[in-house]
Amino acid sequence: MSVLRPMDKLPDLNRATVLLVGTQDALLQKLAESMLQEQCASELRVHLANSLPLPSNVNRPRIDLIVFVINLHSQYSLRNVEECLSHVDSSFFLGKVCFLATGAGRESHCSVHQNTVIKLAHTYRSPLLFCDLEVESFRVTMAQRLVRMLQICAGHVPGISAVNLLSLLRRSDSPPSKEL
Amino acid sequence: MASAMEQQGEKPAAGAEDCGEVRDEPQAAGESIEDRIRLLLRLRAQTKQQLLEYKSMIDASEEKTPEQIMQEKQIEVKIEDLENEIEDVKSSFEVKSLALNRMKLSAALTNNIEKMGTESSVLTDDMKHIIKLHKLIMKSQEESSELEEKLLGIRKKRLQLKQTSRSKLLEIQTEKSKQKKDLDNMENSEVIKTMQKKLQMEIKITTVIQHVFQGLILGSKTNWAEDSALREIVLQLEKDLTTI
Repeated sequence: MSVLRPMDKLPDLNRATVLLVGTQDALLQKLAESMLQEQCASELRVHLANSLPLPSNVNRPRIDLIVFVINLHSQYSLRNVEECLSHVDSSFFLGKVCFLATGAGRESHCSVHQNTVIKLAHTYRSPLLFCDLEVESFRVTMAQRLVRMLQICAGHVPGISAVNLLSLLRRSDSPPSKEL
Repeated sequence: MASAMEQQGEKPAAGAEDCGEVRDEPQAAGESIEDRIRLLLRLRAQTKQQLLEYKSMIDASEEKTPEQIMQEKQIEVKIEDLENEIEDVKSSFEVKSLALNRMKLSAALTNNIEKMGTESSVLTDDMKHIIKLHKLIMKSQEESSELEEKLLGIRKKRLQLKQTSRSKLLEIQTEKSKQKKDLDNMENSEVIKTMQKKLQMEIKITTVIQHVFQGLILGSKTNWAEDSALREIVLQLEKDLTTI
């Protein structure tokens, strides 16, 4: 399975699966634990990966949401994510992909400019969230948000589909662009 | 709620995915029926939503963009052109092969004739016979065509005659109906009635005058039978005017 497709498997009953892609294992682990601690009616599954493509010899449930974690402090994580994006099917970008830029709190350490990440997210028409996963409270809030998004992407919220999540692309300081 | 976490490492050291930890919170033993029903309802809503998503996905993949349709049309037109070309080439090839066969046959025939000699060969006799028959056929065909032309001419004439007679008959009919109408009009008109009344009056007056004259002649006691002119007058006076 070189290219990840969103709809090639049947969904499991009451189960939502998220794939966290990032270079920093410790951070991903912490985020996953916070997500699992969230109160949620659905059964959550968190998969962690350093990069794509995923190995094909493993039986894996349907992946409902891919979160690309970019550490603003390292150029390598950005490059890694850019390489991974080529292994994702285009229909995933209908709301089932989200970029997470961590390390935004301490701007002095940043080696990746925010505009670069914003441009990347805009190119792939996917929402971009800024946070600092090192801080406990931020991480919990972000986990809450991700769990909610995951439930929508997995189709566990009646009446709302993943495409509705594209409204996250709207910026509050700019008028809504016509292409959305 | 059962949550599971599994780690997928793409690190060269870890190799494939390895399962990190799986946590299963034991479900409460005394889970009430209401909770179960709620769970089932939620599951139903989830399945419906997921079904909707898959359906929309299938619809989206089935729909064709206008560009694809255009391309398909172009390809169809091209295929048609190519098929026409193939047909043309096939027919021309057949025509050529037929011509070639004929040429071969004629060449073979000439060779045979030369070999067998000109005099008293069966083939030449046959051919002559065939030619004679052909000429006969042509002649009879010409005759039959002439006859057919004549027949056609006659039929044309008959048709023309029929048409003219029909038109004449129509004219006659219209004329007759016109006359009838005129007569009806005349009889019904007021002028005719008054004329008839006048005529009746005149007839009555003349009969009275006739009677008067008769009386006069008889009263004069002249022998009107002897004078021829007088006799004629008296006899004339005897005429009944209504019979005229």
